[in-house]
Amino acid sequence: MAETLNENELELATDKTLSDDENRAQRLGNVDDMSVDDTSKSAGSTEIHRTGRMTLYIRRFMRRPSAVVGLVILGLLILWAMFGRFLTPYDYSNLDFAALGVPPNAEHYFGTTDGGGDVYAMVVHGLGRSLTIAFISSILSTIIAAIYGVGIAYFEGFVEKAGMWLLDMLLVVPSTLLIAILVRSAGGTSGWAWLVFGLTIFGWVGLARVLRTVTMSIRERDYVRAAKFMGVKPLTVIVRHLIPNLGSVLVINTVLGVVSTVSSETTLSFLGLGIKAPDVSLGTILNEGQSVIVTQPWVLAIPALVLIILAFSVQLIGDGLRDAIDPYSRSGGKAA
Amino acid sequence: MVKYLAKRVANYCVMLFVAISLTYFLASAFMDPRSNYMTRNPRPPMASINRALDNANINDQTPILIRYWRWLTGIVTRWDWGKAPDQSSVSDAIVSRMGASLQLVTLATILSIVIGVSIGVYTAIRQYKWQDRVLNSIATFLYVIPAAVLAVGVVFFAIEINTVAGERLFFVTGLHAYQGDNFGEWFVDFLQHLILPTISMTLGGTVGYHLTQRTYLLDEMNADYVRTARAKGLTLNKAIRRHALRNSLIPTAQSVAFSIAGVFTGATITESVFAINGLGRYFVTTISQNDINGTVAIAAFSGVCTLVGALLADIFAAWLDPRIRLN
Repeated sequence: MAETLNENELELATDKTLSDDENRAQRLGNVDDMSVDDTSKSAGSTEIHRTGRMTLYIRRFMRRPSAVVGLVILGLLILWAMFGRFLTPYDYSNLDFAALGVPPNAEHYFGTTDGGGDVYAMVVHGLGRSLTIAFISSILSTIIAAIYGVGIAYFEGFVEKAGMWLLDMLLVVPSTLLIAILVRSAGGTSGWAWLVFGLTIFGWVGLARVLRTVTMSIRERDYVRAAKFMGVKPLTVIVRHLIPNLGSVLVINTVLGVVSTVSSETTLSFLGLGIKAPDVSLGTILNEGQSVIVTQPWVLAIPALVLIILAFSVQLIGDGLRDAIDPYSRSGGKAA
Repeated sequence: MVKYLAKRVANYCVMLFVAISLTYFLASAFMDPRSNYMTRNPRPPMASINRALDNANINDQTPILIRYWRWLTGIVTRWDWGKAPDQSSVSDAIVSRMGASLQLVTLATILSIVIGVSIGVYTAIRQYKWQDRVLNSIATFLYVIPAAVLAVGVVFFAIEINTVAGERLFFVTGLHAYQGDNFGEWFVDFLQHLILPTISMTLGGTVGYHLTQRTYLLDEMNADYVRTARAKGLTLNKAIRRHALRNSLIPTAQSVAFSIAGVFTGATITESVFAINGLGRYFVTTISQNDINGTVAIAAFSGVCTLVGALLADIFAAWLDPRIRLN
């Protein structure tokens, strides 16, 4: 009961789905340990053909058509962002003054903007920009969150209290505002690196809270206590014993983090606070398209469509992963 | 209870103070109001630039701690949140924009809660039936669409409808256009302006409440006490309404309380797209004009909203679930 009270105690969280995530995360955390126990028990009987945990996850994931579709779409988008620029002679920063604001045609696949920018080239470059930012900062902030969240839970006592206070404090001021301040002074071409920096250092806080909650159950396990009594250094215990057991939670959060990072990046760039002029991201194209919504709707519609497809594919992958890693998964399969 | 709340409020005050001070230092380090003047052509004389910056207490040649001390004493003694680089008062700017934000956000928030929670309950009771599947697919689809795309999408359709109808049914900028004093016409005009931003904000909010409320209610519906209620002979509807619903409302009530934080500044995108002069748009303006004091004031305002929301969420939870004691 004491534990329940503790959990219900109001914690600062701006994310609406946080408590939902925490529940799920906790469930995942617990069951991961169960599967660890299982493998150690059956390790003695080698003649039985064992399915490794990874293989199981991959099989479950592949069994779900929507997840595979999501993976294929995301793969195609990444390939397109990398090699799509070779399909057109135009560059995202060059202007074609012979074709101002023309609708999509054979020359300019997605039409051009008011100033003669080729929308196809801009979307390819912008998609690459948005994807790069989203993946780098999502991975980095997961790493920071894992070390911090697990760390404060492991040390308990005063460290945990102070650590939680710091996390709550960082949630008081909206991160969008802080990121906008950081990126404000950055120039056009290096702006995206600053944006990655900003999204990373203010993006890990929510996840760190979730991970601390999950760790609270893992830190009581025997193998953690054994490692502690053997005199293993705290950092080693955290990196070797605690974080690997959170693997599934971390993977899911990294993937879903990509969606939310793309969303924040687009929002900031759309408001003119993120990526700036010579550089292009999907958000800046949307911003440009907003003013010519009636006369040149393609400038708006195409990046919007790409953005929706991107977010949807990552969401499908995330759902598939969650289902594959969830021990109560219904993705049973027929063969033994 | 009172003692507990007092302790919590005191802790929040410390938190707020540290967070805002950090924001002040961050903003002072990264924002450069001097560049507002340096890029002017012809460039004003150095002495007058410095005088203007000194007057607003944002001169980067003054040591940061001295500026911070002046800024802090200004707030504590005179409730003066400082000046923008163009010498206008930050407090006045915020007060004048609060009304617009309030008008815009109140209706959208109430609508998203009511519609979202109702759909969530409706679909949870009909889990895996076609109504649930259809509504869920729509919600998942809307959920991943970034707010900016959603808002411009709404504008796009409204303009199409206007074109088809041949007259202006919807206005896509501002909150008011009517100048006379006929209340009826003023109200119709207000609605014509308000409906689009409300739709674009409500769509996003509704989907969130729908998906979470559905999950929470489904979790509760499988609980033992609901089965007991059914075994006693209650109908499914009654068991859900009397027993499961109340418990499943706790997390929702908490997220409603937290959404107060976003009430004022969360409408940034909507306000930008529909050109409404609220706090969200003010935030964008302050950043792009290197207005350090304005930015920090907005940060402080939303910080206060966040903490009030957190406190309310606490009280809501204790009120809905008597097992939770605030101590």
